[in-house]
Amino acid sequence: MELLVLIKPVPDPETRLRPNAAGTDLDTDGVKWVLTGYDESAVEQALLLKEAIPGSKVRAIAFGPAPRTEEILRSALALGCDAATWVEQPKDAAGDPMLAAEALAAACQNVPFDLILSGKQALDDEAGLVGPAVAERLGVADYGPVVDLRWDAAANQFTFARAIEGGLERMVAPPPLVVGLQQAWNDPRTAKLQNVLKARRIAIDKVTWANPPPGVGPAAPGTHVAAFRLPPPRTGAKMIEYKTPEEAAQKLVRLLREEAKTLP
Amino acid sequence: MTGPVFVIVELRNGAPVRSSLEALGAGRRLAGPPGTTPVIALLLGSAVESAAAHVAERGADQVLTIVDPRFDSFQAAVWSAAITALAQELGVIAVLLAGTAHGRQLVGRLAARWGAAAVTGIADISISNDGAMLAVRPVFSGRALQEVRVDAPRVVLGLRPNAFPPPEPSGSKAPVLAHATPELGKLPALGHVSGFETAQSASGPDLSEATVIVSGGRGLKGPENFRMLDELAASLGGAVGASRAVTDSGWKPAALQIGQTGRTVSPQLYIAIGISGAIQHLVGMISSRTIVAINSDPGAPIFKVADYGIVGDLFQIVPALTSEVRRVRGS
Repeated sequence: MELLVLIKPVPDPETRLRPNAAGTDLDTDGVKWVLTGYDESAVEQALLLKEAIPGSKVRAIAFGPAPRTEEILRSALALGCDAATWVEQPKDAAGDPMLAAEALAAACQNVPFDLILSGKQALDDEAGLVGPAVAERLGVADYGPVVDLRWDAAANQFTFARAIEGGLERMVAPPPLVVGLQQAWNDPRTAKLQNVLKARRIAIDKVTWANPPPGVGPAAPGTHVAAFRLPPPRTGAKMIEYKTPEEAAQKLVRLLREEAKTLP
Repeated sequence: MTGPVFVIVELRNGAPVRSSLEALGAGRRLAGPPGTTPVIALLLGSAVESAAAHVAERGADQVLTIVDPRFDSFQAAVWSAAITALAQELGVIAVLLAGTAHGRQLVGRLAARWGAAAVTGIADISISNDGAMLAVRPVFSGRALQEVRVDAPRVVLGLRPNAFPPPEPSGSKAPVLAHATPELGKLPALGHVSGFETAQSASGPDLSEATVIVSGGRGLKGPENFRMLDELAASLGGAVGASRAVTDSGWKPAALQIGQTGRTVSPQLYIAIGISGAIQHLVGMISSRTIVAINSDPGAPIFKVADYGIVGDLFQIVPALTSEVRRVRGS
């Protein structure tokens, strides 16, 4: 089975966030870029399928600038992916997720696939647009947020569940397919040192993305981030003084009703 | 603005979901008062009649129904084909989608098919002085905010749950019109739903839609004490969540975990009980409108992010709070 997994470098979740000088984006100075979150779950899911289905191959594909994108593809190779494609984003290119989807769909078009996996959204911009947009470009069905994905060889179909409001919707679907993975269902592995060293020697296929090439997708994303800012800092709780639990409850309910206005 | 706004209304058990009603509120805000830019609510499925009547009194200028069993189960490929065809036919300029699992899945696919811009996770929306649309969206688990400017003739907007008030019944009834299923074109091979497993604590609203969440941590001391939280949540019409310590111990199912490795929630009111407030937990609930912390440890980090704090014995405070809520809400 041919498995593709779409990943994206994101700032380490421990990063202290700071806007850049223009106030339009994260100040990326000194940021450590990692493969994490839902993307990590997607890689883990791809590797589990590869281990379960003899003769399977996993290719990691990422769109983004040097050097961070190449680095997380190395991380994916160290975890056990067999091959990697890096669609290089020119320095001055827009970072819009819909354009990223066009770039990734073009890269997927050139390789055979039965399943394309991605995180249901990236941990940084939380857009969740790329997987479904890639599916539309490639003309295949897409499902998400997916958990518990398996291959039923006898029936030649995938079985999985969509984690929706109120429970799990069990589904079956034939390949080819695009799925967006929910986090925390699998427990992603960590790379062994020897595999990290081995991954350095694997050649990464590099594609340069003209932004966008003529005839593909929108001429412009139509959106841009006008401001990136931190929410006003929380100043610490107003502490409720009381003598009895009943008094504490009365004071809290009054504050929620009259001050916060968030008591239903 | 020069064309109608679509609001896609998602149904569960034949009724519109709350997030879709919120989307109607957002659509109304975007379009301006009735009589300006029309807001069209679109309902798809085989049994949409009663939901259509409900929606007709809540902010829409017109309600369109496509009565077709092919829409009973959510298939992004099918829905995006139908909505695109209809949007092109009617000259729609914006499609609004609820912040449900299905709604979030639809945004990217619909935008790619329709050739539209896309913005998701929107917590606020306005029109700038020069006529461009401005959308505010929390990113990095609510630790930062993006203000996105839309300069596109068509846009798909995905909304954050609990960010927009659902419209009150207006007293007037918008016309409900049935529309034939548009030409869907060539569809990909599709999967189908084989069953449904209800989440263990599905008596109240789902965590992602709840306006109130009562969440418990290690301070509860044992699974049996969550009954107290169930009662408080019930008194508020809310849902119960848990910290990772609780789900890791098996006191509550993993599906109820709020935090970095669990669910991200943004209710109007979040009550953290016996939760110390590790960063792992905070990123999952920091965008809640009002945060209340009840904890025996005055040094617990949760008090740094909470709006209101009570230091004390939660086993005394919580039952007192439930009684007080019942008293003021008359339930």
